[in-house]
Amino acid sequence: MASSRTRGALRPDCRAVLVGLGLLMTALLLALAPAHAQSLDDTFAAAVQALDARKFSGKAEAVEALGALDDDRAISVLEAFADGRLYRRKADKLVFIGTRDDKTYILTNPVDGTEIGTVASRAVKRIVANNKLRGQIRGVLGQLALFSADPDTRRAAAENVIASPSDDSLPLLKRARDRETDAGVRATLETGIAMLELASDDRDLRLAAVAALADRSDPAIKSALEQRLLANDEGGFVEPDAEIRATVQAAVEDIEDRLALFGLAENLIFGLSLGSVLLLAAIGLAITFGVMGVINMAYGEMIMLGAYTTFLVQEIFRSSLPPEVFGWYVAAAIPAAFLVAAGFGVLIERGCIRFLYGRPLETLLATWGVSLILQQLVRSLFGANNREVANPDWISGAVSLGGGVSITLNRVYIIIFSLVVVVALAAFIRHSRFGLQMRAVTQNRGMASAMGIRTGRVDALTFALGSGIAGVAGVALSQISNVSPNLGQNFIVDSFMVVVFGGVGSLWGTIVGAFSLGIVNKFLEPVSGAILGKVVVLVIIILFIQKRPRGLFALKGRAAEA
Amino acid sequence: MFKSLKILAAAGALAGSLTMATTAQAADTIKVGILHSLSGTMAISETALKDVMLFLIDEQNKKGGLLGKQIEPVVVDPASDWPLFAEKARELIEQHKVDVVFGNWTSVSRKSVLPVFEELNGMLFYPVQYEGEESSRNIFYTGAAPNQQAIPAVEYLMSEDGGEAKRWVLAGTDYVYPRTTNKILEAFLKAKGVPASDIMINYTPFGHSDWQTIVSDIKKFAAAGKKTAVVSTINGDANVPFYKELANQGIKAEDIPVVAFSVGEEELAGIDTGPLVGHLAAWNYFMSVDDDTNSDVISKWHAFIGDDARVFNDPMEAHYIGFNMWVQAVEQAGTTNIDAVRQAMYGQEVKNLTGGPAVMNVNHPLSKPVLIGEIQDDGQFATVWETDGVVVGDAWSDFIPESAKLTADWTYPWVCGNCEKPKHLTN
Amino acid sequence: MGPISTRLLALESRRGWATVMVFAVLALVVVPVLNLAVPPGSAFHLPTFWVATLGKYLAFAILALSLDLIWGYAGILSLGHGAFFGLGGYAMGMYMMRQIGERGVYGNPELPDFMVFLNWDTLPWYWFGFDQFWFAALMVLAVPGLLAFVFGWFAFRSRITGVYFSIISQAMVFAFMLAFFRNEMGFGGNNGLTDFKDILGFDLSRDTTKVGLYIATAASLLLVYFVCRAVVTSKMGRLLIAVRDAESRVRFLGYSVTNAKLFVFTLSAMLAGLAGALYVPQVGIINPGEFAPAKSIEIAIWVAVGGRGTLFGAILGAFAVNGARTYFTGAAPEIWLFFLGALFILVTLAMPRGIVGVYQSIRSGQFKDAIGRRLQRVDA
Repeated sequence: MASSRTRGALRPDCRAVLVGLGLLMTALLLALAPAHAQSLDDTFAAAVQALDARKFSGKAEAVEALGALDDDRAISVLEAFADGRLYRRKADKLVFIGTRDDKTYILTNPVDGTEIGTVASRAVKRIVANNKLRGQIRGVLGQLALFSADPDTRRAAAENVIASPSDDSLPLLKRARDRETDAGVRATLETGIAMLELASDDRDLRLAAVAALADRSDPAIKSALEQRLLANDEGGFVEPDAEIRATVQAAVEDIEDRLALFGLAENLIFGLSLGSVLLLAAIGLAITFGVMGVINMAYGEMIMLGAYTTFLVQEIFRSSLPPEVFGWYVAAAIPAAFLVAAGFGVLIERGCIRFLYGRPLETLLATWGVSLILQQLVRSLFGANNREVANPDWISGAVSLGGGVSITLNRVYIIIFSLVVVVALAAFIRHSRFGLQMRAVTQNRGMASAMGIRTGRVDALTFALGSGIAGVAGVALSQISNVSPNLGQNFIVDSFMVVVFGGVGSLWGTIVGAFSLGIVNKFLEPVSGAILGKVVVLVIIILFIQKRPRGLFALKGRAAEA
Repeated sequence: MFKSLKILAAAGALAGSLTMATTAQAADTIKVGILHSLSGTMAISETALKDVMLFLIDEQNKKGGLLGKQIEPVVVDPASDWPLFAEKARELIEQHKVDVVFGNWTSVSRKSVLPVFEELNGMLFYPVQYEGEESSRNIFYTGAAPNQQAIPAVEYLMSEDGGEAKRWVLAGTDYVYPRTTNKILEAFLKAKGVPASDIMINYTPFGHSDWQTIVSDIKKFAAAGKKTAVVSTINGDANVPFYKELANQGIKAEDIPVVAFSVGEEELAGIDTGPLVGHLAAWNYFMSVDDDTNSDVISKWHAFIGDDARVFNDPMEAHYIGFNMWVQAVEQAGTTNIDAVRQAMYGQEVKNLTGGPAVMNVNHPLSKPVLIGEIQDDGQFATVWETDGVVVGDAWSDFIPESAKLTADWTYPWVCGNCEKPKHLTN
Repeated sequence: MGPISTRLLALESRRGWATVMVFAVLALVVVPVLNLAVPPGSAFHLPTFWVATLGKYLAFAILALSLDLIWGYAGILSLGHGAFFGLGGYAMGMYMMRQIGERGVYGNPELPDFMVFLNWDTLPWYWFGFDQFWFAALMVLAVPGLLAFVFGWFAFRSRITGVYFSIISQAMVFAFMLAFFRNEMGFGGNNGLTDFKDILGFDLSRDTTKVGLYIATAASLLLVYFVCRAVVTSKMGRLLIAVRDAESRVRFLGYSVTNAKLFVFTLSAMLAGLAGALYVPQVGIINPGEFAPAKSIEIAIWVAVGGRGTLFGAILGAFAVNGARTYFTGAAPEIWLFFLGALFILVTLAMPRGIVGVYQSIRSGQFKDAIGRRLQRVDA
């Protein structure tokens, strides 16, 4: 601690030197570009100009100097630097903030925020930041933003300062804590302070810090505490006091117990999430295969078409609608994907499958051909490589559940979405007129026909429904996976497993099947590794089918024998 | 029985006409075989390489061809099917009588065609970073060897600029390239004093799509208070869901940088890179490199393909280097004869697209510069570090004991791809 | 003439024997002679490429026969036949791997290169014995046979039929693929087994060895054809057809459906293993790609294209589809999947009994009628 204090004491001098250097540069600049610099705040301009150093170490010093100016304008400059929006104009080597506009850049003066004008992309060169610089900038920005008016900004700033601590973090955090009014932000600050005070020279402070941290459930806190228990270079321990070591030990064990529980919860949540993906992928198959008895090997391609429709909808939103509504392209893609996939479904049913009812294995071969054609079609139209489908802001990020467990938002939405789709589908089949006809045709085609149901039409529409739902699944999968011509192939085997495991013809079985396979898989993965886990799941399915050849929820009666 | 004889005769005639059709082909062009998957799982990566070969051949033909002849590309589709690669390689060499083949991506496909090229004395240019541990007389490796990609990347992350990483996650797809790379890196890290408890190795299957558990494990591993970096040898398709999960779980490059060896501009084209800024890749080329030849080639490429959004990546540059090198060697030898061209290849130098030279070595990998780039929000890389000069590719790694003692040198007196002593002993 | 030869002769009609003989002569004599005896400059010389490619097709034809035996005659559609094919291939590959000996890149006399690379210092137990050809040859049949027996015993006992059987067999082959991808399994991971040098002392890169392998495959196909023929014309064969057409009825008549199916399934798996063993030395590599579910589905497609339920059709289908693939991947590399996909759709829609079916209809002059009837039935 002593040494860092000395360094802390030296720091103002360093800053002074740097500011001095900055001034010197300003003087140089004044000589070079008088028109630009004269009217501006010279020190600030020089500090900004210094960011364009040749080496990263020079840039780091410039960032430090800029932060030390305590100038609010530094925030936007540093943010631009971290985001890679800081450019050097090649003509005069001056530094600007640039906004990309297709092939040109709109330059803004960093000092007074005025727009300078538009230049071609080749006229400027980006001032590159690296990870280390971005970390440093984050720390500096955090220090500047700790006293912002917005509690969310303060919380984020506090987290940033804690994540990239420097020597003067502790007094800064304490100052912020004393001023803090929001309880949540205050707790964050307290945690950060306690973590830093674990290494304090004062025994009481250390004890208090351990006590403050003992009831948290965070792997980072656990490892911070564990650091105290390690042996140090001189043969003793990092934590010199035996009593505190015992307290730390107890705290670590407590945290470990809680983390183990959180670990179970995490596996469960991950399993649910995987299950929901399987469910979405399989639910359309549960209709075409489960209800109609058609083995549609082109089913995966329906998912793929849905994903590509999402891509197209996204491109339309990007190119012709205002950016504010861009985030809603996903919502717009859902009906679009349904219609596109359902359309292809009708085409396949009318053009091919209807000739093959009652011969499930031959449908398999014909639809395999369809699948090859669709893959090649997409490859010819869109190219063989992946297409970019962006996560809109409202489904980006993660929800933290404590204990280091977090689930990403897109997966939360997929869990909800999959359940909504299933419930809607079940309600549709149960309560709508078409659902009734559909059930009638699948149970007894001849009788249904005799009752005046146009079985051909019902077949086509049922197939379209299954395909359409696959398309909708494609929208969801595009948010977490590749959008490539091979997309469907990755899901087809899994989907069949889910349907067969759950019980062909039973929607309820598909739900239970998908979630149980997902959860089993996720509990196996940490134990056996991802690959062996999957093999074990497949073996479980094979053995399970021996016991219950018709799956978890077998249909009873004659229909089951067909 | 008489009828059967007629069938026999007809079949014989058919076979005869087939062979005639294939042997009686014009010999006034120089044929270049292109052996890249255009369908199946690898089409994602390989289709662009087929396109770039057509582009390079077109450029060369515009310059008047080679040895006064036009170059004729022969494209076949091995369909990501490894035994089919061997069949197609044989078809290219025996049936189409190509003078050289540019192709393959996966190492298993290379292993599959290797015996064919050796048996028929063909010549293959392999453009993708490879695991080393192989040097064939008939294959030139224009991609990076492990010492031209993995080791510099790890050294960078250990350096002050790279963030002084102390704890390492080696995550890869379970196949030979990641296995080899990780084995070399593990030995390298241990030699640098990293304890085994600070190295976590994880393998996943091809096309792995559910990364929740692994990304969460990485987060926990990194929570130990030491700067942690992830070295990713995750292959192709699995990368998009991996990076999406990274982004959504909020893993920032400032905290846990991920350096990848299989993620280039082409792969990034499928991802929104906004949340991934700062994660790294190590290659021998980045499209963003500010070099006149580079921008010239890229603009010609865009004109050829008719799409300004198409990217140019490291394996494409490898084909650019390989093709131009082969053209020079053919001109030097004055013939397309495989043995003569091979001899002319050694020491052949081509200007690469990052402003330096690329030189073919006698062990068959190239000498190339190594660049480390950070992902930017526009899907490009910004170079944050590069080697001063070029690095000579090692066919056999020094960090694997069994392979450290082997030498690959196809000139006299060694003339061998994996020997402990020269084949021809000099006095 | 003894009863056996009488039985043998009765396997085929006079016409059938003639056809078989024509093809046997073509495959066993004409092709090798055109390749080896005719000088390369001659217009009648058959390049080694064709010998290797035809040899591959012949191995596929054996595989197609093995699937046709269970699908065409017993109604069991296995979408996991690639597992048996692959295991047979791996058994042969392990033998050839052990034959490499000190010629591997790391020069270890005992361990294959990939094991040296994984830092293993002893051979895993399941690799013992594979340095002997007879042992490997035994395993080629025994391992797939045993797997099929166990898998079939469970499945047929639980009366898993039709689509369910297809899908769990697909799960099986998928599990094999994932498992064999793992390097820890000791089968070379994704790269599989490769870099073979010789078989039974013959150098694999020599043309004569290739022709030898080709002849061995052609002879095996002939043998397998007769074995299948013998099965389907036997009492067991009639029982299987009965099972295919009305399983419950056969069961109620007192026959053991389970045993009959188990027998033919195990036999079929062994034949598939044989096909794999003949395939691997000709293509020079065996890797988990052979276990990909898509490959297993394709086997069924060969059979369907040729004509399910006719042994000759299975062979024809394997040649037709693979020949088309060889041709189109070279002639139309960008769009060949359109042709292949369209072929599959057309075959199932217009030629439900495959190429053989069409041939038969044309011969009996009922082709037009058949098509007409089909369309009528559909419209009804």
